[in-house]
Amino acid sequence: MEAERIRVLLEREFPDAAELSVEDRTGTGDHFQVTVSSAAFDGVPLIEQHRRVNDVLVEHLRDGSIHELRIKTKGTT
Amino acid sequence: MKELREQIEDVIEQEPVAVFMKGTPQMIMCGNSHRALSALHAAGAPVTTVDVLPDPRIRQELSAVSGWPTIPQVFVKGELIGGADITEELLESGALQQKLDQALGTDRAREVKVVALDLERVA
Repeated sequence: MEAERIRVLLEREFPDAAELSVEDRTGTGDHFQVTVSSAAFDGVPLIEQHRRVNDVLVEHLRDGSIHELRIKTKGTT
Repeated sequence: MKELREQIEDVIEQEPVAVFMKGTPQMIMCGNSHRALSALHAAGAPVTTVDVLPDPRIRQELSAVSGWPTIPQVFVKGELIGGADITEELLESGALQQKLDQALGTDRAREVKVVALDLERVA
């Protein structure tokens, strides 16, 4: 799948993201690195931050169109 | 014979550190599973691993229990820590060692154990 499609899905979920990047790590359209920095994560435990990112992409994780997803999240404080 | 979900819950509750992964420590089948195991090893954790590859229902039941959709999944004393990314970040910040010290003590064993779920008569 296209990195751009993942970006659109994440932008809809995190419209105020200070930083939002999606990288196709291997060029094969199924190994992605996602980085999201947003005030929505301030004070939120790391696992919950990652859970929110997983939730946005859960269908693509389940159907295998995303084979491997690496996540980096940060608050803004 | 216990249902699959019950077997999974038993491993999560009874093992000090449970890792549901693709493959085994001797034959790791995916990058993220390798990253999680390496981080746990570096933090001096005992590890009990369960291979999710033999049957797709393992992953379905596990995700129903944990609410986490991807593999690997790391649990310490029954608590979901997360996947490879979080386990690595906790290692880098020292929080993983701290959590293990609190949960298992500093003189903890560091054995690696593989648990095979009983898939024979699972409905």
